[in-house]
Amino acid sequence: MLPRSVPKCASGFTRSLPARVHARPFTTSPPRRDAIERDANGHIDIEKLLSNPSWSVTSLLPSKDHQPPTSGVSSKQLHHLLRLSALPPPKNAAEEAQMLSTLAAQLHFVKEIQKVDTAGMEPLRSLRDETAQGEREAELGMEALKGVLEQEEIRGTHHRRIRRKPGGRDGEECEKWDPLGTAGRRMGRYFVVEGEKAG
Amino acid sequence: MRSSTIRTAPSHFARALQYTSPGLIRCPRPCIVAKWLQSRSLTTATAHEAIPLRKHLKDEAKRKKADAKRDGNTASTKPGGDPRLEKWELTVGIEIHAELNTASKLFSSAPAEVLESDNGGTANSRVAMFDAALPGTQPQFQVATLLPALRAAIAFGCEVQRQSGWDRKHYFHWDQPNGYQITQYYQPFAKDGCLVLDASDGVPALDMQGADRLRIGIKQIQMEQDTAKTTNVGSSTYHVDLNRAGVPLIEIITLPHIHSPQTAAAVVRKIQAVLKSVSSCVIGMELGGLRADVNVSVRERGTSGVGSSYSGVSGLGQRTEIKNLSSFKAVEDAIIAERNRQITVLEAGGVIEGETRGWTLGATETTRLRGKEGEVDYRYMPDADLPPLVIGQDLVEHLTSTLPTLPDELQQELQDEYNDAKTLIDLDSGDRLDFFLRTVHSVTAELGMSSQAQIGKMVGNWVLHELGGLLTTHQRSWDDVRVTADELKNILLCLHRKQITTRVAKQLLADLFQRAPAPAARPSVEQLIETGNLRLRPLSEEEYRDLARRIMEESPEMVKAVREKGQKGKVMWFVGQMVRQGEEGTVEPEKAKAVIESLMGG
Repeated sequence: MLPRSVPKCASGFTRSLPARVHARPFTTSPPRRDAIERDANGHIDIEKLLSNPSWSVTSLLPSKDHQPPTSGVSSKQLHHLLRLSALPPPKNAAEEAQMLSTLAAQLHFVKEIQKVDTAGMEPLRSLRDETAQGEREAELGMEALKGVLEQEEIRGTHHRRIRRKPGGRDGEECEKWDPLGTAGRRMGRYFVVEGEKAG
Repeated sequence: MRSSTIRTAPSHFARALQYTSPGLIRCPRPCIVAKWLQSRSLTTATAHEAIPLRKHLKDEAKRKKADAKRDGNTASTKPGGDPRLEKWELTVGIEIHAELNTASKLFSSAPAEVLESDNGGTANSRVAMFDAALPGTQPQFQVATLLPALRAAIAFGCEVQRQSGWDRKHYFHWDQPNGYQITQYYQPFAKDGCLVLDASDGVPALDMQGADRLRIGIKQIQMEQDTAKTTNVGSSTYHVDLNRAGVPLIEIITLPHIHSPQTAAAVVRKIQAVLKSVSSCVIGMELGGLRADVNVSVRERGTSGVGSSYSGVSGLGQRTEIKNLSSFKAVEDAIIAERNRQITVLEAGGVIEGETRGWTLGATETTRLRGKEGEVDYRYMPDADLPPLVIGQDLVEHLTSTLPTLPDELQQELQDEYNDAKTLIDLDSGDRLDFFLRTVHSVTAELGMSSQAQIGKMVGNWVLHELGGLLTTHQRSWDDVRVTADELKNILLCLHRKQITTRVAKQLLADLFQRAPAPAARPSVEQLIETGNLRLRPLSEEEYRDLARRIMEESPEMVKAVREKGQKGKVMWFVGQMVRQGEEGTVEPEKAKAVIESLMGG
């Protein structure tokens, strides 16, 4: 979802195009035009416009007198989540209450976000080039795999099998660093870990 | 000596006998035969006849196989019993993890396989910074890993998805440095394939249900990372080796179309064979390159279990998962044990919990690893560091057209043409089969197509037994075989045209086997025959009789044995003596035998 300022840009864009061509609006709902006041010359009083915020992020958080819903996170669930994330459990009841209320506020935030209608939209995973051109460039086809295919040979005349050509790498392109340098405990060439007693 | 070798390795013994000098005749050993039959509390009417050893060994092997089959069946149905299996139906789904045959790991450029310079492999020597999960490192998809994965997908007839994604599967373990495994949970790269089995793959007749083929659906194939290797030293201490962390795996998930433990083992075997034939995964189960997890459930026949379903197959019982089975036998035994346990629980009125179980070799029941409350929440989420995988259709088409022959097709081809070649398929990663085919083609080119089956049989014998025997005697591997297909062709042509005897042919083979390989000067077969004066100079009937009579006079007790005691097998001893005492390359064993028999029989 793009911020609401974009439709302004879109409308600015359409003014430079021939009248019969209209850019498609980016939002499905028309932008609010009633709040914009113009003076006699058609100019907008920017300061007046921006003096009253029309939206605040606090609308996504629970209000101060907001009662936590009865279907909140239980202590058991909290401990389960902490274990999944390998985070330390709360030291005392006060810390646990603090964690629970923070979690409740976070869940409220997420529920507010989930109220946005995203029907038919693919979730964004990361910022990438999602144009057709970008997909063509990212495609792994014969061109991209040409070098790798050349590294293979066919062995046998009647019973043909595929082999990778031997001696392709000596490992010199491997980064020269010592993996065990990060080890807290080591024994020879191994990392040492203490676990539960086996069996 | 005899009885111990017979008990342990009859087939090796038979082969070893072939390579002793021809003077040692294969005497029948009725005393040994009688002892053995007695020990088995079997007596046969033929106990007094002289049974040639090879026939005897073959019969014993056949009988052992029949016994094992009978015992195997009773063992597997003993706790369950046949009546239980009539009431309860087993359903199995298999997930196989196989290591791809690649040079580098999946998301880093560290080598995936042991380098030649590194004997045996030093621990923690093939670790990139991403594999060790150093903060700030990013995964980099290694394009070369796509080839074996695509070949595997095409070999199983899957639809390759143009776009697939990478997802994180989160869990904490010391063999997972990143805290998550990168896999393809939401969008695998290949879907909807199938595996075809038939009775020769080991599927019991009951499962085939009258059809000649059994199709097992493959739900999907996905690429993922392997974990590091941990070894337990001491009571609670573990050593971690990150060399294996990040090595590419493919996970092949079958649909629950399997209904017997033998079929399940056959499926795993077949999958391994197919992957090996397209060189996607060349390390087998016994070396840890392929691991299987099985999902087992039972339901009463005719009902729909507890109504569970998996990927379109519905009406199943509650399933349990058995993880980390590392041999075909373990797959079969674990499924049998779990099936029996589930039937026992259900018949006693209990319910099966959906849990994860483990199996150790030699155990009688699966052990519980994780119950439902210990179920891990993997919190799958798309990996934001990696772009989606986009596979070009031109690459898929190229790989489909250049795919090597699959095991089924190869078996079919060889069956149609050369029945004996099937034993050659698995030897020396296909090199021996290729040698066989080259020799057959060149011999057929000279002799014509009419006797192709015969030629195939003859060449098969020589490549498998003669060359194989020379390799074992001189302890060499096939890479060092030195005899070329051309040379073998020449030997066999001379033999076929009766220019040399079989014994001489074997000697020529052994001679050529010993010589230094090209580019050192190797004499041709013709030259060897000339210089050694080995050409067959057939003796006349009279010369045969003279030789035979001479030998019979030298050993009257053997003559008595044949004539009076009726030990017909000892005729071959005389044949051997004739061949030994006659000039090299003159006595033909078949003619000699005929002559001796006529002289003895009288």
